[in-house]
Amino acid sequence: MNQQHIFRDFDKAIEALKGEVLTMAGLTRQNLERAMRSLLERDIDLARSVIADDADVDDLERQIDQSGIDILVRFHPVASDLRLVITSMKMAHNLERISDHAVNIAKRSKKICKSTMVEDASLTEPLYSLADKLLRDALMAYTDANVTLGEGLKVRDKELDQLHKQMIASLSARLEDSNGRSENLLHLIFVARSIERIGDLAVNIGEDAVFLGEARDIRHEHRRNSAEEGESPVS
Amino acid sequence: MIERLNPSSKDISIAVKDLDFSYGSSPVLKNIQLDIPENGVTSFIGPSGCGKSTLLRCINRMNDEIPSARITRGDIEIGGVNIYDSSVDVVKLRRDVGMVFQKSNPFPRSIYENVAYGLRLRGERDKAVLDQSVEQALHSAALWDEVKDRLQESALGLSGGQQQRLCIARAIAVKPRVVLMDEPCSALDPIATAKVEELIWDLKHAYTFVIVTHNMQQASRVSDKTAFFYMGEVIEFSDTSRMFSNPRFRKTEEYITGRFG
Repeated sequence: MNQQHIFRDFDKAIEALKGEVLTMAGLTRQNLERAMRSLLERDIDLARSVIADDADVDDLERQIDQSGIDILVRFHPVASDLRLVITSMKMAHNLERISDHAVNIAKRSKKICKSTMVEDASLTEPLYSLADKLLRDALMAYTDANVTLGEGLKVRDKELDQLHKQMIASLSARLEDSNGRSENLLHLIFVARSIERIGDLAVNIGEDAVFLGEARDIRHEHRRNSAEEGESPVS
Repeated sequence: MIERLNPSSKDISIAVKDLDFSYGSSPVLKNIQLDIPENGVTSFIGPSGCGKSTLLRCINRMNDEIPSARITRGDIEIGGVNIYDSSVDVVKLRRDVGMVFQKSNPFPRSIYENVAYGLRLRGERDKAVLDQSVEQALHSAALWDEVKDRLQESALGLSGGQQQRLCIARAIAVKPRVVLMDEPCSALDPIATAKVEELIWDLKHAYTFVIVTHNMQQASRVSDKTAFFYMGEVIEFSDTSRMFSNPRFRKTEEYITGRFG
């Protein structure tokens, strides 16, 4: 809807909110990319800066919530405007959690950097590459209210889950044979876990993009469909 | 274009069928089709001049008083009866279809007489019946506690909000089927508005309310169904929650989100 609002301030407030979300999304994705680079390149300073910069993401989450509340109180938005405000606030929450996972990765990276043991951290690269694509497309789905893109993320996340499972199996096997090198392998298992969770959070953003575009709530659809068919829900 | 209500889900109180209406040679309403459910609240929203008040006034034939105004096609049925049929007694129709206006309009008489007015007009002379009906109507209008000790005082001494609730009491004293309201809260402060809205909500199990409002928050708070009018047509008619969260048509979306109005 490109038509101007009868209150120009409303358009300005909505544009400002969207701008804040995009800034937060950019920072979050950058934090994740730097956390992974610190791990792959054993760059401890980069890991430290990721941990420090997470405060900016936290500030933006609070700022976006405040901007959303201000718009709700001042303009009482409805329909697609209401959905945009709600989705933006939820998006900020999901991005904050993704940035927390970037911090988790950076913390593990720091520990690996300090260790004298060399472990093949590049094992996590394909997993990250897949998660980052999901995150990129989730952000695009929100920006463009692209329902098809948002809805497709859940299926694509299964590929990430599968890769994660394989990687955990491989790392666990190595762990058993490691004899004293186990600590770094454990760190990598936690890194993989964080990346897998980032995929889930990207799916959440995609689901919110579907709500934004079509007011359709696709969350927990599998569970609901099972319940409707009289099956017991998957725990 | 219009989502028809499912008649089986709730009984239809007012059925507007293919209605065209004109002032002189100017068409004002075009092909209106609405099934307004019984014992519920239906809001009419839309920009000024879209025809919502005109349709409201068609429902109790108030437009009959305007010489150039006429229905050129279609009809309106209330409880299955065509209200424009020549056999319909318009006075009786207006007893069945009460109206509350934008500006409260109590008669310059006592509070009691205002409420008793319609009953007396109907021929009620029994003092006990009148007393009971007045008390019941004032209770229903959430006004009894505020006026019970001064029923014989002039209604003009009441506050604006109280006067509007008195008008509602006057309308419901004769036990109408339908209560039409044309911007009933536009001259009231927020507290008086809240009281009137609560009243509508409490009474909807017994009456069919149709409300014209420019206040979309009011429409979303108070009504079960909302009809959006634009340039003499009903663009969308749906559940209020649906309309304000996910309207079907672009024009509705543009209007309720403040892109024009």
